[in-house]
Amino acid sequence: MKKIISKIFVLCTLVLMFSCKKELLNQDSPNTLTVDQFWKTELDAKKGINAAYAMFYQNGGWNRWIYFRLDLTSDEGWSNSPWTELGDWTRFQYVNYNFWEGNVNTYRDTYKAIFRCNQVLTFVPEIPFGDEKAKSEILAQAKFLRGFYYFYAAILWENFPIVTTIQKPTDSPQQSSLAEVWAQVEKDLTEASADLPEQWTGDEIGRATKGAAQALLGKALLQQHKWSDAKAAFDYLVTGAGKNYYDLVDYKDNFRAENENNKESVFEIQFSDANKTGEGDGPSSNMGSNRAQFFAPRSIGWSDGQARFWLVNEFKKEKTIDNKVDPRLRYTLFYPGLEADFGDKIYGRSWEWGGDEAWFKKYSRDYMRSNEDYFNQVNNRVIRFADVLLMYAEALNELGQTADAYQYVNRVRTRANMVGLATAYPAIGNNKDMFRERLKAERSLELCGESVRWADLKRWGDLDTKENVDKVALRDPDFKNFVVGKHIRLPLPQVEVDNNTNLSQNPKY
Amino acid sequence: MKKKLHFSKELKLCFILSSLFILCCQTVFAQSNVTGTVSDKSGSLIGVGVQVKGTSTSTTTNENGVYTISVPDAGSAVLVFSYIGYTTQEVGVKSRSTVNVSLVESASDLNEVVVVGYGTQRKKDLTGAISVVKAADVNKKQGTTVAESLQGLATGIKVRGGGEPGSEAQIQIRGLKNLSMTNPLYIIDGLITNANRDFNPADIESIQILKDASAAAIYGSRAANGVIIITTKKGAEGPMKIEFSGKSSIQTIPRYDLAETDEFARINFMAYDNAKLKRQELDLSNNTDWQDVAYRTGNMQDYNLSFSGGAKDATYFVSGGYFGNKGTVISTDFDRYSFRVNTKGTKGIFTIGENLAITSAKKNEMSANPIVDIFRMLPTIPVYDPSHPGGYGYGDEVKARTFGTNPLAIANLEDRVNQNLRIRGNLFAELQLLKPLKFRTSLGYETSRDHYTYLKKDGFWTLNQAYDPAIFNENRAESSTVLVENTLTFNKALGKHTLNVIAGQSYQKDNYGMMWGTKRNILLNQTTGHYYDVLDQGDEPKTGGFRERVDLISYFGRLEYNYADKYLLNAIIRSDGSSRLGKDYKFKSFPSISGAWRISKEDFFKSSWINDLKVRANYGTVGSGNIGPYDYIALINTFSTVPFGPNGHTQPGGTQVKLANADLRWEILQQQNYGFDASFLNNKLTVTAEYFISKTKDALLQYPILISTGNDGGNPFVNGVTLGNRGMEFTATYSENSSDFKYNVTANLTTLNTKILDLGYGKNKTFVGNTVTEVGRPIGMWYVLQTDGLFQSADEVANYKNAGGKVIQPGAEPGDIRFKDNDGDGEITNKDKVVVGSPWADYELGLNFGASYKGFEFSMDWFGSFGAKVFNGPRSVMDNFSDNSNYRAGVQPWTPENPNTSIPRAFYGSTINARGDTDRWLENGSFARMKYIGISYNIPNKLLKGIGFSNARVTLSGQNLITITKYTGLDPEFSNTSIFEKGFDYGAFPNLRTVSLGLNFGF
Repeated sequence: MKKIISKIFVLCTLVLMFSCKKELLNQDSPNTLTVDQFWKTELDAKKGINAAYAMFYQNGGWNRWIYFRLDLTSDEGWSNSPWTELGDWTRFQYVNYNFWEGNVNTYRDTYKAIFRCNQVLTFVPEIPFGDEKAKSEILAQAKFLRGFYYFYAAILWENFPIVTTIQKPTDSPQQSSLAEVWAQVEKDLTEASADLPEQWTGDEIGRATKGAAQALLGKALLQQHKWSDAKAAFDYLVTGAGKNYYDLVDYKDNFRAENENNKESVFEIQFSDANKTGEGDGPSSNMGSNRAQFFAPRSIGWSDGQARFWLVNEFKKEKTIDNKVDPRLRYTLFYPGLEADFGDKIYGRSWEWGGDEAWFKKYSRDYMRSNEDYFNQVNNRVIRFADVLLMYAEALNELGQTADAYQYVNRVRTRANMVGLATAYPAIGNNKDMFRERLKAERSLELCGESVRWADLKRWGDLDTKENVDKVALRDPDFKNFVVGKHIRLPLPQVEVDNNTNLSQNPKY
Repeated sequence: MKKKLHFSKELKLCFILSSLFILCCQTVFAQSNVTGTVSDKSGSLIGVGVQVKGTSTSTTTNENGVYTISVPDAGSAVLVFSYIGYTTQEVGVKSRSTVNVSLVESASDLNEVVVVGYGTQRKKDLTGAISVVKAADVNKKQGTTVAESLQGLATGIKVRGGGEPGSEAQIQIRGLKNLSMTNPLYIIDGLITNANRDFNPADIESIQILKDASAAAIYGSRAANGVIIITTKKGAEGPMKIEFSGKSSIQTIPRYDLAETDEFARINFMAYDNAKLKRQELDLSNNTDWQDVAYRTGNMQDYNLSFSGGAKDATYFVSGGYFGNKGTVISTDFDRYSFRVNTKGTKGIFTIGENLAITSAKKNEMSANPIVDIFRMLPTIPVYDPSHPGGYGYGDEVKARTFGTNPLAIANLEDRVNQNLRIRGNLFAELQLLKPLKFRTSLGYETSRDHYTYLKKDGFWTLNQAYDPAIFNENRAESSTVLVENTLTFNKALGKHTLNVIAGQSYQKDNYGMMWGTKRNILLNQTTGHYYDVLDQGDEPKTGGFRERVDLISYFGRLEYNYADKYLLNAIIRSDGSSRLGKDYKFKSFPSISGAWRISKEDFFKSSWINDLKVRANYGTVGSGNIGPYDYIALINTFSTVPFGPNGHTQPGGTQVKLANADLRWEILQQQNYGFDASFLNNKLTVTAEYFISKTKDALLQYPILISTGNDGGNPFVNGVTLGNRGMEFTATYSENSSDFKYNVTANLTTLNTKILDLGYGKNKTFVGNTVTEVGRPIGMWYVLQTDGLFQSADEVANYKNAGGKVIQPGAEPGDIRFKDNDGDGEITNKDKVVVGSPWADYELGLNFGASYKGFEFSMDWFGSFGAKVFNGPRSVMDNFSDNSNYRAGVQPWTPENPNTSIPRAFYGSTINARGDTDRWLENGSFARMKYIGISYNIPNKLLKGIGFSNARVTLSGQNLITITKYTGLDPEFSNTSIFEKGFDYGAFPNLRTVSLGLNFGF
């Protein structure tokens, strides 16, 4: 009996002993594909480009913090946040260059987006497609998005290291000059424009179009004062082959969840409240915008950002044809006279804030609910046709074709029921400088709170001299902290400068 | 009342099960065991090591001094009885079934038998660095996990613990050798596992800590951070013994001395006035003490009941325990029910046994961080405010601008419950194939069913909070480990030569799977006021889940050779293959060799005052591969979604988010250890000293890579760093047992010097937070701006110039901080930062004192850590004045009237005086703490007999009652899990002051 037991016992254990095969050590992830298994099919390519679009939903970019850089740092907005450091980063008090919310998060998410574009541009050319056009459209979208992110990198940090390949953990890119970054933007957008469709249809609407690439290219060229090239780029939308795709619509339809992707929309970030969870790379991550939650008035939202009151005054300077308040004010700002002027309440409340305070209204949902949250579904019309018209007028004016520029400004004014520019301001005539000054006002009235002002100030040279900055500071006292030659660009994250020996910190930081 | 009910149920269950086991044991197993009682002149001895001479078979005596051991040949077998402080005795069995022994005190503890992994050794034969911790010392302290109780009981052990109910301590053996995970490997009854919060420390019989590479090498690839071997209690021959222990403790949390409304308002107004801002309209009618709101007196209840006994050839041990902890923070608690059955039986050459533990644990988790919120909330804010949704007070834009969270609100509005049921056990069988040859196979299995729920109710807890409806999230997970191990042991003594060889093989498979679901707009039952917290309710469902699997294949062997107790040699090799590592790097062998020379046994050695002297030297390699299961594989993240088209039709995305290094390989720790053990003065004084040099090569860590890589989801693991450690450990014990008044004193000292020898990706330094890590220095040195007092006048500002005459801080005003312009460029920039200190202690000291007189016993443990510089995160909030938070009571910001202070002027709304990257927040982190003090009284036998008890003891003890430190934070003994910011106290949960009353009795 004993012997039998022991024999069975030894046998069993011997079997166990040798059943351990080394193949057991090759365990693939049961959860998802490996990089080697992906990038094989047309569907993979489409998923790849979709993931690049999904970067719009992350905190560093158009989901949240970019608005602090573009809107609040400009003279349109400011921060009275109880979170002092957050506020300091909208008033040129940059102490800790590694401040996540003010700098590093946006810098990081810019590179995350570029990484996604670079993956598409690296792998998709090798994927066999039944329809080569579909392939070229995917590649063109990746170039558009990469150009888009480099555009804002040029606006924010200027000397932003260009990365156009998939990085290894060991890679340390060289520093790039602003001119090099602009060259990259132009190259990407030019190439994108060549292959992007003029329009998307059905469930693909919202992707980048040829017009979007041309408009962003024009905007990049305008920023570099390449007036003639900029005009040429805008031609497609205004006078060229694409002109029938674009028009102006009811003003409020540019800022609401209804009538999205309309004729005025040139490039629009698609937001959705389908996933009410946190942002990031997890399952069912939020596809909404946090902007309204952060900008909504005190006790409705975080109230971390608000509008400067000079904007209200600017709107009140000129009445409409029928002697009413500029209707654009109604959809642009929450201000003390909103209810008196237009009969609108603020998220259902009467004015309960300071007499000299104003809050950004565009993309808010006050017209449909009494509060905000992190899941705002209102698309952001990053570039809309009215902006293109005004930029077109600006290019023409700088090229000395001032008379020709009037009609484009007037298209925008007419929509707002304002009288023609020549009638309202007869003194301007064909004076280039006066026309430019008026155009600045026209842009703020039309586009205030749409994240274009910081680039405008830079382009106009309003931040290049102490004298000009002092004028801006009259509208926004935060600019008293502005040091010429320093605050025109953000500091690079210090941790990146320290850890990448090829980098030097931006001047004066 | 409820708890009592549970308890009696358990009792019943225990009785039934234990009776079943006794029946089983008596009917199934045949006999070949020896049993007996070990005693000294005053009575029976507990925990005496009993070993069959020349084999690795061993046991210990139970609470009544009774042992049972299986003997291969009862005619010739010799039993070795060893016990701390007593002379070892060898007694021949001579075919007897009962061998009673009386031991004589020797005051030397070198004869203990210690578990060394897949076997035992006599402590005096050790060639490596192994610490033995007595179960009694562990159990006298009140802790949730065994790790918390280990501090100060052995050299080189550093524990940073818990405090929060159900929290688990961090433990580090011999400093930092590894950057990815610093917890040691736990072995419980041979099962490779974790002695986490659902393991009942009351079941422990002994603990061995394998500290150096030669000792730990038998566990190869997972032993780099040391190994803690836990053996649980076993039964012994004799009638059933019933033991009860009960402990009841009260706990208090250390508190800050914070400003009340008057003082707060005075400084707050000052901060606004200085900033030329309109003062807040503080509501001075409130004076809320947020510490009173968030904290309470906690308590712990720990009850254990065990039944043990057995026949000659079969033993059983059954225990049940309840541990409950009501937290010192409101709405936190932890409960654990544990149950264990250990049995063993022998028939002839065949032995079979099992250890099985079932535990159910439930933790009511803390929401937000009240440790920080108690000062982020202002005293002028009321606890309740009916005008707010949910009814709680919090910040207000006009009256109290703070984003602090009302700790009561979040405690009531958020429920987080984490519970699990764990089954942990093994089944082993042994076959004595030949007299010197034994085969053992062990099948271990562990599984945990985890269940987590989160309910967020309707309501707000902070200013301007985003609206969310009621949300419910539920998460279920299952983990399992299968461990199959087979060993062959060969044991032979030939004259003066003794040889012991073990060869074995092991296979381990770990599985984990998790699924979760979440819904919004959870339905409220208006009648009861409770939410229906089930996933059937609500809308907008989301779900997810994932699985993981890890496989490990190992082969190992150990050779022990002993010549006449003079020359000892130990060689170990283990080869491990892991699925976690890169395709070509799965397998690695870890050899070690160690030797010792007992000089005192040499003929030439003649000393009247040295009783024993042994020198040891060893060299070994161990490894570490504690990374995620798929870290070497570059994966595609398929979670992104994008809504396109007029209806926002969601399309899927796919992209690589996290970079991966495909060539991940084993991290290797090479260590040399030199030591000696000596006893002097008739074994009254014993000294052990160790010096070690170790080098960790290819350390696996998540080395920070550049942002420009576009990487996210954590830095990828890389075999990056080479670390060097040098250290010394010294332990001395003096015991005096010759009179009625007995006492012993143990002092231990650990010094450690860690240096980076080489950094990842060929770089020289890396910056994380306020630290720099560079070659030639320890990890995470403080790298900040240096402050240089305050400006007292406008003249001082104007005269503070660099060599070129440039005014360095032109914007400063009197009362502002003066920073050192270390690069001399006339500006304060990041280039002025310098290394100002180390977060690591120079040395650590443990002091244990024990004494007894007749029935009384007294003991006291101290622990001290000296020389670390730490960052006081909470103070950087309370003292910064730029943001609204409460202030420390008595804080003196600079004013023209009160210029003699180190605190700058209060200034709201600017980071200029408040920046976090300066040495202003660094403090001396040295401390000495009385970890334990206790007094027990053993009720005399005479009194007990009348009531049928065999022993009874009452203990009154205290933990963390005295701390001597200059650190101004709550607790200098805080823990931080970031390797680069070890010395950063972000507001960690402090150690608690605990006073316990315990009762033990047996019958």
